[in-house]
Amino acid sequence: MGRPTAVSRVRGVIGAIVLIAILAVVLYPLIWLLGGSFKSPTEVVSNMSLLPTEPTLGNYPDGWSYIQGVPFGTFFVNSMVISLLSVVANGVSCLVTAYAFARLRFFGRKVFFALMIGTLLLPGHVLIIPQYVMFNEFGWVDTPLPLVIPKLLATEAFFVFLMVQFMRGIPRELDDAAKIDGCDPYRTFRHVILPLSRPALITTAIFSFIWTWNDFFTQLVYLPSVEKYTVPIALRLFIDSSGQTSLGPMMAMSVLALMPVFLFFLAFQRFLVEGINTSGLKG
Amino acid sequence: MAVALPAAGLLAACGDDEPAAGAEYPTGPVTLTFYWWGGEARAKLTDDALNLYTKAHPNVTITRTWQAFTGYYDKLATISAGGNAPDIFQIDDNGLAEYASRNVTLDLSPYTKSGAIDVSKHPKSLTEYGQLKGKQVAIATGENTPAIIYDKTILTELGLALPKVGMTYEEIITWGAEVSAKKPGYWGLMDPSSDYKALWLWLRAQGKEFYSDNKIAFSEADLIAWFQLWVDARAKNAVPPADVVHEAVTGSVATQLVVTKKAAVSFMWSNQLSEMQKATKNDLAMTAYPGDPKGQWARASTYWAASRTTKNAVVVADLINFLVNNVEAGKVQGVDRGLPSNLDVRTAVSDSLTDQKMKDTVAFENEITPKFGPAPAPPPKGHSGLRNTLRDIAETVTYGKATPEAAAKQFFTQAAAALA
Amino acid sequence: MSNVISEPASPAATPTRGSPPSPKRRAGQSPGRRQEGRAGLLFLSPWLLGLIGITAFPMLFSLFLSFTNYDVLSSWEFLEFVGFDNYRKIFTTDPIFWKSVRVTLTFGLIAVPLKLAASLGVALLLNKARRGVGLYRSMFYLPSLLGGSVALALVWLAMFNGDGAFNDFLALFGIEGKSWINEPDWALATLIVLSVWQFGAPMVIFLAGLKQVPTELYEAASVDGASKLRQFFHVTLPMLSPVIFFNLVLETIHGFQGFTAAFVISNGTGGPVYATKLYTLLIYDKGFTDFQMGYASALAWIFLAVIGLITVVFFSTGRFWVHYSDGEK
Repeated sequence: MGRPTAVSRVRGVIGAIVLIAILAVVLYPLIWLLGGSFKSPTEVVSNMSLLPTEPTLGNYPDGWSYIQGVPFGTFFVNSMVISLLSVVANGVSCLVTAYAFARLRFFGRKVFFALMIGTLLLPGHVLIIPQYVMFNEFGWVDTPLPLVIPKLLATEAFFVFLMVQFMRGIPRELDDAAKIDGCDPYRTFRHVILPLSRPALITTAIFSFIWTWNDFFTQLVYLPSVEKYTVPIALRLFIDSSGQTSLGPMMAMSVLALMPVFLFFLAFQRFLVEGINTSGLKG
Repeated sequence: MAVALPAAGLLAACGDDEPAAGAEYPTGPVTLTFYWWGGEARAKLTDDALNLYTKAHPNVTITRTWQAFTGYYDKLATISAGGNAPDIFQIDDNGLAEYASRNVTLDLSPYTKSGAIDVSKHPKSLTEYGQLKGKQVAIATGENTPAIIYDKTILTELGLALPKVGMTYEEIITWGAEVSAKKPGYWGLMDPSSDYKALWLWLRAQGKEFYSDNKIAFSEADLIAWFQLWVDARAKNAVPPADVVHEAVTGSVATQLVVTKKAAVSFMWSNQLSEMQKATKNDLAMTAYPGDPKGQWARASTYWAASRTTKNAVVVADLINFLVNNVEAGKVQGVDRGLPSNLDVRTAVSDSLTDQKMKDTVAFENEITPKFGPAPAPPPKGHSGLRNTLRDIAETVTYGKATPEAAAKQFFTQAAAALA
Repeated sequence: MSNVISEPASPAATPTRGSPPSPKRRAGQSPGRRQEGRAGLLFLSPWLLGLIGITAFPMLFSLFLSFTNYDVLSSWEFLEFVGFDNYRKIFTTDPIFWKSVRVTLTFGLIAVPLKLAASLGVALLLNKARRGVGLYRSMFYLPSLLGGSVALALVWLAMFNGDGAFNDFLALFGIEGKSWINEPDWALATLIVLSVWQFGAPMVIFLAGLKQVPTELYEAASVDGASKLRQFFHVTLPMLSPVIFFNLVLETIHGFQGFTAAFVISNGTGGPVYATKLYTLLIYDKGFTDFQMGYASALAWIFLAVIGLITVVFFSTGRFWVHYSDGEK
């Protein structure tokens, strides 16, 4: 980098101002949510403003111990387990699948690829019943298996396609060089593609975690007992349209539910920054 | 309707339900699955009631699942389709016919006949409201009545009369216009034109019906009159503009106009008074929907239904019987799922209440019950979709996007398809 | 999990194992090619297993159901084959179908480009190494973390209701706002804003893509005296094109499949007056409220056909503007 000139410094300041302005707009609704989590029960429904007039901390302990006998932490643990398993399952399976699609030539590749994209196109509501019938036949209902095994078999086409696009951005000369060095496809995968796919893997990990964390319907259907509930299902327990409604505690727990995913993101986005350094290329 | 007719048509093709009379209560271990929707308070008291049962029957284990109303029916449909319907599940009159007429539920008639499920102390009309084509397909957990909930504090401040039982719709609309006139930016009442239960009661007060068998029983002219009633009410400023009405259309407590202080009257259920009160500092009270109270009937707030595929029908029936007739279980459950069906239990429960607004609910029910008319059959299959159709089409009138005539025509076109 | 046993690298000249050369063998198919074919199927095996064991059945089953009167709850003996009836009804008598198509198209055509533009713009702003960039990035991602949470409905109401924050903002300029979320003409706009607000996912993908652009290219361009703008058009965009392509395809598919936010915010109604009745809400209503799952499946397959067509168009035009470093088209 050269020395910063006056022009570039002004540019930097303007850039920062623009960023902060956008950020303020983007974060406003979330600040409202945070403020709402400190509002008293009557204020929650009557006061729409950003900050509570009589702040109370009560929503947090109330929300945490809202469900009798099941502290909210249990739901966090359940969500965490399923989300982390999904991260691993998606990362491994989509990586090998994407490698096949992006780098290897074999019989039927184009057809398979089209099929893979095709699986993205059906809205889930018409699939849930046949899926349930099937997993029920397998005897998987009441276990986390229906939530994890499909990911282990690369059924999340989104991530396969994502990785394919990234791998196709890796210059093929690197593979060719590896080939000349006597690498078969497996070694090429290990020594060339794997290290260079890190941004795609990190992206996949982040999304897998967050989307699984926020998933509602499949978890609702496959996890029947309250102590196995995940955070999104538990959050809905605060709102019963026909009677009890506890908006304050619900907001408090929603704020808390954001924390793990936020921290997960904060931790992993660092790896996105580093980009590719070719030092990982040891033949 | 006391005589059970031999089942005809569709139902005849299905497997026989186990006869109840001769079956023995099992002594070996039994596991039942038990589903309901509701809030945390309901979960706690249902748990307690079920524990009372398992204490008396140590060989029975009850696997419980409860969740918010959102997603409950989706989940129930999915697992029922997969052949996993819970042994006992909570249901309301919107889902009753959907499940019963498709034969998901167990016919409980043999058990009510043999007395294994004792309904002798239940109001007759309440029991009948759980019957379809002469079969007892579900047992009411309790009684609940549509009621208008109003803001007593503001009305007293404004020096206006409070709504009372037997007001006509014309009277309440005139009264509502007075409220709006006295307090700018505030309105007399919520516009209930998209609410099927308001329309139903309005029809019944005129001696008409919403459904007969599985068809619409009212005419296009009736619906036009209903829509017109509220168009006129809006012209008089008795009800809020459409966008304010829309906020409260889904019926959730937190967005009701009485709670958000935008209108003096919300159209709700009697058992929601206590919950509404928690959301506002103003004093709330309630009375019946407008119109002659003979249009009202003893409605089940929710039901217990059993799965036809249950392996332990005898235990299931016994447990349902326990939940609706046992005094101790009744006391534990309170008025959470409506006023207890069993009148003896109801008395016991009423005496043990502490929450003033719940006492008001009981007092209101006791006042209005003697004025009830006979119960209609529960809404037919297709009703839950039709309810939404009414809601959407009524809103086109509210927003001024369609005339009452055009909207009514549209409703009947869609109803024909929905109930086919 | 994948039990890939690395074979020792065999010199690429002599095939030691493998199938005997078949007569159909294309000229010039080297043993290395054969090995690659085997490896390809091996690497693909988890996905194939998933396709055959998990994905294919529900998809084909729903296709089959779309020609029946399947109603979820009745037992199978009442299942009737109705031919193309469901499809015919959808196109001729369904009163909501075309409304819903219009809502969905409006939503997709406006929300998808806006979301892509926003995510690319912010990604470019964030791509410069500045202090605390990680925190910035995470802040921009926060709205997406909320997903379709129940809190979303409350938040959006607080922003776009008559007494919401957006109107307070407009009041600063003396403009009197509406109750946006409850106005049939504006409710969809609030959903579009929501969709754009949650631009975190494409943004992260763009960021990862930007990291893949070799810095040497920029250095070389700088040496050649190319301006920043020129560098953007001649280096960044071409190198980023696979990722832009990915985001375009996926956001389009997801945009048209939008469900959760509309469902949560309209409380399942798709209202007011069908204003937010996205196609997936229609499918949901038919399948889970009216129990017409056969009909809902037909709706879903019509959706698949249309969105599939759009995807094919993307893929076939992508050849002209997507630049891959692997040299394949």
